[in-house]
Order: sequence, then C-alpha cells, then structure tokens
Amino acid sequence: MADEIRRLSDDLARDPSSLVFMPLADALRRAGQLDLALRVALRGLDRHPYVADAHDILARIHADRGDLERAGDEWEMALRLDPSHEQASLGLGFVDFRRGNLELAERRLAAAGDGDPGVATALAHVRSALAARGVGGAVPQSTFAVPEVIAEPAPVAMPNGDHAASLAPDVPSAATVTSSPVTEYPTPDPSRARQLFAPVLDGADQTAVLVDADGLVVAGRYIDVNGTDVSDVVAAELAGVSSEAERAMRHLGLGAWTSLLVEADQSVVAMTPAPLGSLVVVATSRQTPVGLVRLLLDRALTRARDWLARVS
Amino acid sequence: VTKSPYAELLAVLSRHRGVVGSFVVSERDGISIDSNVQIGVHADAVAALAASLHRKARLACGAAGCGQVTFLRLDAERGGICAAGRDDLVLVTISEARANIGLLRVEMMRAAKALT
Repeated sequence: MADEIRRLSDDLARDPSSLVFMPLADALRRAGQLDLALRVALRGLDRHPYVADAHDILARIHADRGDLERAGDEWEMALRLDPSHEQASLGLGFVDFRRGNLELAERRLAAAGDGDPGVATALAHVRSALAARGVGGAVPQSTFAVPEVIAEPAPVAMPNGDHAASLAPDVPSAATVTSSPVTEYPTPDPSRARQLFAPVLDGADQTAVLVDADGLVVAGRYIDVNGTDVSDVVAAELAGVSSEAERAMRHLGLGAWTSLLVEADQSVVAMTPAPLGSLVVVATSRQTPVGLVRLLLDRALTRARDWLARVS
Repeated sequence: VTKSPYAELLAVLSRHRGVVGSFVVSERDGISIDSNVQIGVHADAVAALAASLHRKARLACGAAGCGQVTFLRLDAERGGICAAGRDDLVLVTISEARANIGLLRVEMMRAAKALT
C-alpha cells in the first residue's frame, strides 16, 4: 500500500493536472489517511470538477469520515454528471438506508438495475430489511454497508485508456439508522445565489462570497460589521489576488497557492482559489479561532465547487 | 559596513525552523529595505509581490470595515509567506511547510509593533 501511494504521489507530482489524484486519494482513504485523502481529492476536483468518478471517491472519503450528508451530496453530483454511474446509485442507496429511508433506498437501487452484483446484493439487503420491518417493526442493524455493496473494485479510467488503481470496496461499517435532513443546494437560480453559503456558515458573524477573476460577485454576500452588504466593493478590491499569489509562489517554487488568510483588528478574512479562476472569500469576527476559519473556508469551497459545476 | 536597524530582527526570524528568508519591505513601492535570505530566493521579486498582496488585503479590509491588517498568511503546497505590517513597513517571511507557523506568527506580530 505504501509503495502504491508513493508511486501515485510521484505520478501526480510529475503531472499535477492528470487524473492520478483519483487512485491516489482512494489509496490514501483505504490506508486510513482520510485528511490527506480529502485534500488530494478536493485539489484534484478543483482541476477536474466534471469527473463523476472523482466525486464518487470524494463521497467515499466523506462516508469514511462519518459525514453522510456530504457523501450524499457528492454521490448526487456524480449522478448528475453521469446518470448511469452505478457506484453513485449504490452510495446514495447506502445513505438512504443509513437514514432509515428504506423505501427510497429500495427504489433507488431498483432503478439502478441489477446488472452490477454489488447493486443486486445491496437491493437484497434492503428488501430483507423492509420485510423485517414489516414483520417485527425493527430494522435489522448492520445489514447494509458499502463494503458489502461495492463488491467489485471499480476501475478508474485513466486518460490514456488504461485502467489504473482500483477502488477498494471498503467504506464505513453499518451502524445505527439515523435520520437527518438532506442539504439542498440552491438551484441555479440567480435570485438564490446570494444564499449559496448560508448552510455552511455557523453564525451571524460569518459571511462568504464567491468572486470571479475580474473582481465581480458570482454568489454569496459579504456583510460588514455594521450589517451593510459590501460584496461588490470587497470583490473589486480582491481582483487580481489570485494572479499575484500565483506569481509569488512561482518565484518561490512552493507549488500552487492554497489559501490566503488575513487577520485584521475586527475580522479574519480567508480566501482560496476556486474553479474557473474564481475566489471563495470567508470572513468571520475576530473572536472566531483562526483554525475554525480555515475549516469554514473548506466547507465554502466544497459548496462553491459543486454549485459552479451545476451552473456553468 | 553599517547594519540596518532591522538586521538583528531579521536574523532572529530567519533562525526559525523552515524559514528560508525574511524581509522588511516598503508597502508603498515594494522595495526591500533589508533582507536575510538563503541563496536562491528571489528576494526582490518576492518582496514586491508580498508588499502588493499586503496592500490589496489592507484595501479590501478597509472597504469591508475590518480595521487594520495585523497578519497575513499565504499558504501553498510546500510552504508559504507570512506578513505583518505597521504603517508603510511590512515584515515578510518565506517558509517551507515544516515551519511552525503559530510560533512564527506570534514572533512576527510582536516584531511588527517595533517597526519604525
């Protein structure tokens, strides 16, 4: 495993724009290095936001981290990009099952077809659970987990046509059936773009905006400490930050820039490059710990990336 | 040879683990006033770019009503740049990924208060 990770890392270092990030992220996931796997997958998706398999891998990483909501979001994105993506259907069936939506899981898996042995096995488990609930009222635990579902490793198609590095079938262990609301991304409706980041912000003192390469607001809003919307002014002032950061890093040979964090008297402002040359900007009050600001930035970036893939 | 008033300060910062260079630069024109860098670092170019980034951050923070910028950190895959300013002067460090950013941040913010 370590050799495989090293080899894939070397391949990715040689060609950062390749799709090698997918088998690398999955190998890291299987090795239990979930934080690193997440970073590799997110960085890869910045370059390749329309690759369904990449969203599938990111979903598995989220699932391993116990974040079913984000896993579901990623599998939904994979299905939007490729409606025939069986692994994504399987993953969503798993999420539905874990949330206790057995009927929905059954419908989803049945619609995916039983050509894939993993889907057929999962469907059998769900139907068994449905029958058990009908008889005894209780849903059997530990009957449907992704490890049982993704029975066959799914090869990742590489640009040269080869099939490199398989996706392992191990994901999370089945646990308690929980029910939680599914996050709805705003539809590509301009009037709702201003609320894009509302679900990922934790408090009234946090604000986020997506700015394009020309310094124009794409989505979200920047509210200052007085409650005034200053999105347009801030976006204009930040125009060109990406290119300057890139130039600085090129001179230093430190690789691509990943984030810029600015601490000021009253606020902490963080930004990170997003797809299509855009910039995600998150601001919080000075009381927010700096480490938390970076987590918020990651969440906002994930949301922006998914949204951009839908509207662009 | 006369040492600049910043030589000792820059030497202290450059001794931090992973720090490959430190500068005092004018934010207005991006000219390096003093530096302590390892061989191979493009000191003048990086100083100018860091000053420009600091200026942009200051203007954006001004527009957003955030107050004065106290610290700026640009992260990259294998390291990054930190900057702390006072008036027109900006203290800049270049570091590799192994640097202890928390410690460097505290040291730079303390040192920036003494910049004149």
